[in-house]
Amino acid sequence: MNYYRIWLAGARYSLVRTMMFRGDFFIWSLVELFWMAVNLLLIAVIYGHTDSVAGWNEYQMVLLIGTGMLVQRFVTGFFWSNLFELSRNVRTGAFDFYLAQPGNPLFMVSTRKLDPDGLVNSVIAIGIVLYAVHRLGLHPSFFDVALYSVMILAGLVIHYSILVLTMASTFWLTSANGVEGTYFTLVDFSRLPREAFRGLASVLFVWILPVVVMSNAPARTLIHGFQPIWALWMMAVAVLWFILAVAVFNRGLRRYSSASS
Amino acid sequence: MTAVLVKYRQAFLTGLQSNLIYRWNFLARGVFSILRLGVSIILWTAAYAGIAKIGGFGLDQTLTYFVTLILLQFFVGAFNEDYQISEDIRNGLINQFLLKPINYFLYRFSIFVAARLVSGALILVPLILLLPAIRGWLTFPHEAWRLVCTVPALMMAALIQFSIAYCFGLLTFWLLEIQGFVILSMAVEAVLGGQMFPLDLMPPALFHASEFLPFFYQMYFPAAILTGRLALPEVLQDLCLQFAWVVVLLLVAEILWRRGLRRHTAVGG
Repeated sequence: MNYYRIWLAGARYSLVRTMMFRGDFFIWSLVELFWMAVNLLLIAVIYGHTDSVAGWNEYQMVLLIGTGMLVQRFVTGFFWSNLFELSRNVRTGAFDFYLAQPGNPLFMVSTRKLDPDGLVNSVIAIGIVLYAVHRLGLHPSFFDVALYSVMILAGLVIHYSILVLTMASTFWLTSANGVEGTYFTLVDFSRLPREAFRGLASVLFVWILPVVVMSNAPARTLIHGFQPIWALWMMAVAVLWFILAVAVFNRGLRRYSSASS
Repeated sequence: MTAVLVKYRQAFLTGLQSNLIYRWNFLARGVFSILRLGVSIILWTAAYAGIAKIGGFGLDQTLTYFVTLILLQFFVGAFNEDYQISEDIRNGLINQFLLKPINYFLYRFSIFVAARLVSGALILVPLILLLPAIRGWLTFPHEAWRLVCTVPALMMAALIQFSIAYCFGLLTFWLLEIQGFVILSMAVEAVLGGQMFPLDLMPPALFHASEFLPFFYQMYFPAAILTGRLALPEVLQDLCLQFAWVVVLLLVAEILWRRGLRRHTAVGG
């Protein structure tokens, strides 16, 4: 309850800030919109030349990409800039400020700010998903939609965990510039259908890293309905990676000895 | 004349040194670019399943195109030049150039060339390590004219890349904060520059429309010459268009610089 009130205070502060810099909000919303359009264009061009990629037709692919975007918009909205600043704060020593706060450090670090532009664009991502569902002539049951929503949440947890793991690496590599590239590279792979991965890539991205399951499992739920294996897999991966992220963050915390000045 | 050259040679050498400091950053970027090449490889391999040619090109040619793009990006692409210029203006560092007989565009361009030599050399390291794995499908056409045309196309591509970044940087005279615009334009450049897909795979009308935009000449054009996606008559015509864009962008840069200076209040410094 207490944490909820802290979070609410942060959210309110972020909204006020956004309303102060309306131009910025507009530009950054446009930025995300453009990047979503870029990815849809790629799909349009590829399917202009073929009917199926790894057994997925055009609108199934749009559904997959839209699902990935939806999760990513939530990540940008709730966590991205907070965690991005984590790596910088660890380097400059400004991280001390979070440790001095009476609360769980990981919670305090992750929830200080909201980015309303990401949240606004999540509406558009939902629109893309709905459009794909419509074009595919799907009529998911209430249960499927509920399961899809839970999986989106699980996807958010997985994204969050990867982000924490990536950014927590700065506890060890003090000069790690551009570590966020790891996160974006993994997200890029998550836009591909599971069936496209062969051999070594399959071992790495499907089985070892949670990259493919986090986008494929929810998309499949809407397309093919409830598939117990995918649902269980997704939940297990979310729990495991979250535990790993928290453990690594706490490990890093113990190493942290504040910076220079 | 030689005195002028010595000035910018010095800027170039300093640029070389300061960029060598960031060698690990460039190398990390290179590694990420190559990892992302994996996305293209997986996606296009799946798209080509059961199809010999897409848009008249085989899978090996399309994948070669994406490898070439990485190489070009590190040799002629603008990285954060817009941001550096923006910082110069915001911090007032630009004031010193107003008092000295140095052309800011040429000064920045000398540093840009030095930076590209460093990043270009560094991308060769992971690419050469990768070579045994990709050599099987790496395929380039052998016509000699392609190499001859690539030289001016690459030099002009570098100029276009740099001028666009330079213009975005100069927007700081009016806007103070350009980061949003820069990333917005990155999305446009990613598509119209051919980084997401070879532009020739678009419907012909769109492809011909894109030929008239400067982005076409940033990446796609030199890559398409090298990988055999454009024929000689088209290349010659596009070289003229590319030259026209170089002139236009240099003019825009000059106008922005003059107009911007009139607004400039020389804070800090």
